[in-house]
Amino acid sequence: MPRRKHRRERVQRRKAGPEGRLDAFRCVGCRLDVPADAPGTVHRNHCPHCLTSLHLDDLTPGDRRAGCRGRMAPLSLTVRPDGEWMLIHHCVSCEALSVNRIAGDDNALALLRIAVRPLRDDRLRAGLRTVT
Amino acid sequence: MSKDVSRSVLSTETFDCVRCGLNVAALAPDGVRRNHCPSCLHSRHVLDREGGRPECGSQMAPISIAVLRNGDWMVVHRCSRCGELTSNPISGDDNQFILMRMAVRPLAQPPFPLEPFGDL
Ligand SMILES: [Zn+2]
Ligand SMILES: [Zn+2]
Ligand SMILES: [Zn+2]
Ligand SMILES: [Zn+2]
Repeated sequence: MPRRKHRRERVQRRKAGPEGRLDAFRCVGCRLDVPADAPGTVHRNHCPHCLTSLHLDDLTPGDRRAGCRGRMAPLSLTVRPDGEWMLIHHCVSCEALSVNRIAGDDNALALLRIAVRPLRDDRLRAGLRTVT
Repeated sequence: MSKDVSRSVLSTETFDCVRCGLNVAALAPDGVRRNHCPSCLHSRHVLDREGGRPECGSQMAPISIAVLRNGDWMVVHRCSRCGELTSNPISGDDNQFILMRMAVRPLAQPPFPLEPFGDL
């Protein structure tokens, strides 16, 4: 049906609305329809369920200057000096990295799985044995 | 320059760390060229993503440990001036304390209670 197809394309393109806010979008990782407003952050840039993002921004969040449009997979976490968790994304198409705020409704289990990844590693256990 | 000559030049090449000043051999013990100081893990921003724009030259601080699918650890660096992010393999002689501190840091300051996930 042409009408439905049109609607879906619009959603996927993630156009900014008149106030510069983003429309809802469909996640390229898990196909979830994601509403635009995210608790705890001005600018939702990844799926709250699987944490996948789309490579749209170049240097600053929301600038929409990257022409890549590749899938950005969650890679790791970093902690800001004020204690806030930040999620690092890696573009599977062009290898670019970006750092993004997490949102209040982000999947806690998915975040935690990323947080514990280095701790399940033999290298850390081997390292702990050497230093203790 | 022949391969042997370039290798021997490389094996004696050193650089001074932008952060702590340590004079570091450009080649790690495992023979891989390093991009960061093994003591403080800082590096210098020499190339941008495309490798084209003029080099920034500022300090890049280690901000995260990423674990690749094959289990290898990468250090994610962020440039203190331009904000550019890079990821780089770790070397065998990289400072274990700093690597571990970065690895456990998120769990030490969780944004939600961890107790419900005790079996993870
Ligand atoms: Zn998703
Ligand atoms: Zn990309
Ligand atoms: Zn150093
Ligand atoms: Zn820089």
